[in-house]
Amino acid sequence: MSVSIFSEEELRYEIIRVMKALYDRGLVSALGGNVSARIPGSDTVWITPSGVFKGDLKLDDLVKINLDGEVIEGFMKPSVEWPMHTAIYRVRPDINAVIHAHNPITTGLALAGIELKPITVEAVVTLRSVPVIPFAYPGTDELAKLVAERVKGVRALILQNHGVVALGYNLVEAEAIVETLEEVALTQLVAMLASGGREIPMIPERDRELISKLYF
Amino acid sequence: MAEWYGYTGRIARVNLSDSRVSIEDAKMEYIDLVLGGIGLASLILFMEVDPRIDAFDPSNKLVFSVGPLTGTMVPGSSRTTIASRSPLTLGWGESHLGGFWGTELKKAGFDAIIIEGKADTPTYLYVEDGRIELRDASRIWGLKTSNVEKSIISELGDPEIKVACIGPAGERLVRYASIISGERVAGRTGLGAVMGSKKLKAIAVRGLLQIRIRWPDKLRSMISRLYPSIMSFPTSQILSSYGTNGEMESFYQYGDVPIRNFTLGEWDGIHKIEGQYMVENYLKRHRACFGCPVGCWKEARVEDPRYGLIEGRMPEYESAASLGSLLLNSDPVSLIYMEKLCNEYGFDVISSGVTIAWAIECFTKGLITVEDTGGLQLRWGDPELIVNLLEMIGERRGFGYILGEGCRLASRIIGRGSEKYAMHVKGLEVPMHDPRAFKGMGLQYATSNRGACHLQGLVMRIEQGERMPDLKIYRRFYRFEIEGKGWLVATMQDWHHVIESLGLCKFVQIPPGHIAGFYLLVTGIEKRLPELQKCGERISNIQRIFNIIAGVTSGDDTLPDRFLSEPVVEGGAKGEIVELKPMLKEYYKVRGWDERGIPTREKLDDLSILGIIESRLDSLEIDIWGYKQSIRS
Repeated sequence: MSVSIFSEEELRYEIIRVMKALYDRGLVSALGGNVSARIPGSDTVWITPSGVFKGDLKLDDLVKINLDGEVIEGFMKPSVEWPMHTAIYRVRPDINAVIHAHNPITTGLALAGIELKPITVEAVVTLRSVPVIPFAYPGTDELAKLVAERVKGVRALILQNHGVVALGYNLVEAEAIVETLEEVALTQLVAMLASGGREIPMIPERDRELISKLYF
Repeated sequence: MAEWYGYTGRIARVNLSDSRVSIEDAKMEYIDLVLGGIGLASLILFMEVDPRIDAFDPSNKLVFSVGPLTGTMVPGSSRTTIASRSPLTLGWGESHLGGFWGTELKKAGFDAIIIEGKADTPTYLYVEDGRIELRDASRIWGLKTSNVEKSIISELGDPEIKVACIGPAGERLVRYASIISGERVAGRTGLGAVMGSKKLKAIAVRGLLQIRIRWPDKLRSMISRLYPSIMSFPTSQILSSYGTNGEMESFYQYGDVPIRNFTLGEWDGIHKIEGQYMVENYLKRHRACFGCPVGCWKEARVEDPRYGLIEGRMPEYESAASLGSLLLNSDPVSLIYMEKLCNEYGFDVISSGVTIAWAIECFTKGLITVEDTGGLQLRWGDPELIVNLLEMIGERRGFGYILGEGCRLASRIIGRGSEKYAMHVKGLEVPMHDPRAFKGMGLQYATSNRGACHLQGLVMRIEQGERMPDLKIYRRFYRFEIEGKGWLVATMQDWHHVIESLGLCKFVQIPPGHIAGFYLLVTGIEKRLPELQKCGERISNIQRIFNIIAGVTSGDDTLPDRFLSEPVVEGGAKGEIVELKPMLKEYYKVRGWDERGIPTREKLDDLSILGIIESRLDSLEIDIWGYKQSIRS
């Protein structure tokens, strides 16, 4: 069973810190994006609120829910994406943090039908395979179901016409995944534009054999 | 004694027969079951009024109530509920009021006022900071509503006093008489006539007490940061710019706007009576009810050789359609005048428009003749005729007397098959959304406790594509589909009872999850969203049983035949009818009611109200499960 090295209050502060960092980097917008953290070893989750400016959350804004979405503590309405978060926690016992961000470049490449390629070591080791989930309306049980079906064994997903989802054992890991996604997407975009359509070199197969045999 | 926040914890009881006023403590166990506003009013009436009596019997009671959020800083928290046994539906009656009156009542220290008995002479009440005074209304009896307000304010000498009053229509017992405060109207189910029957002309209110909020700083912080979300709802900017009538063009595309008593689907006149045209040509100023960031309230100003200078409320969507498209009247200035007439006489625009439409259709079919109308030729598209009929209704003069009965009773009086063209459910005239364009609305009309009501559920919003994940409305519900509508309508009806129990407006759309948060921060009472929903379900069931005792049966859970068997001839809903039966079957099942539409004991037990219900039924000597009730309607 997982154990936490943080108190619940520290966990909540950590959620706010992560949200602020993502906002400052342009990966979540004023109203878009949400972050949750499971209290390790439990079926309860702290999650960001719905409809509130994401760059300046307060401790009181966060909401504690169970995996059925029932509010246990807090007065705000939990993020509308709670069904997706809890669906992930249900099928991934190793995951204690979920971040849904609106990475513009990652999402844009997916809209153009371009998948992320193994162009950096981070792309290979950190991201591995990133499935693209077809569009489903935000906040619905349908979206939660689609994500839950594809979430086994992955660290990140792209939601078509929507954004990205990153997972982690803790918030720092999930935050790193979100940032890596955008870094890789930006690098790939620059390479594609600058190369004028020529093929981009990738990390050689022999150097990514273990990962690719496991995840690709 | 309980420590109250949001609620004042005090209920006033005024007996007009013996001029007795008493103040009672609110009971937390009741508040816990049904909240305030319509919940509290429903429980009070259920426990204290025999639903079988005539609405004008002195033993009928009238409850004015506000919700725990009324008058707080929560957006849209202006609302007041008024409820009674209705002279129009002959069963449950309720109507709701925006503006400023409810806030003033809360500041005067009351969650509710229960009006009992009947005064010998015209009376009005003055409520101020915990005290209630009965005053002589002989001088103002007979006055139209705007003059009533001016006169009372002048008499009491305080311009901040808020007045809710009736006009001549209420005094003359027009069965759809309204209650007016400022230009805001509690229009439906004829509660103004109940006031009139009690010789109660008005309730004037002034309050300087503080509304106590449990955690004001947290509430202020939460609200200020939620505005970007609240104002992102699809209708906010349309309502703000053009009022409720700003949606008419959109409704028209769906085939939703009733034309010629629901017989046509296309009509060019729409473009002259919709909100944008009206605002661009006749706006005097934008207004807003207490605490409202949307401000759908518009005031009009126009000079016209027929009517002189008209200043008053810009027609709402319901007015523009019921006195416009429904009657083929495309004269926008006449609509502004008609809105004013209805509000000054004090009667409902929807019921009057639908009753006039019934009369015109019957006249064109030869079922009503000039002998019935006193020589009047009734025809479509004649604003002069409509104005004339509205004045006759307000004064209950000539043919206006029959029209003042509402289309159900009027059609029974006339007979000759005219009942077929009376568009009502349970006696309440159908509002301005054709249920063949949004079939869930058909089920909503058929099952709403007050009869054909568009507001108790607003299911068409969902059928237009809105989702409410907080209420588990995840999937897209299409407007012509049938499956799942039973669940959807029950869910939305229950939720709307919650909104009206808290004192909130439906046109300031706040996600349900946030409303649960507001309730906690205002009252200090921890009641999560599913518990609030359960309160809404209790209210639905209590009102339902009130109706069953009154003699309303599952046979009344229906629609006018036109919607069930006449396909729309053209427009956005061409070829459609409402397939009500399968939706109704699903609805009863979801509700936990038997095949007769009677809530089962198990359901009531699950809702923790079986004891209250059985105790009341025993005292009335009625067994609703054994069909032993005496049915009088």
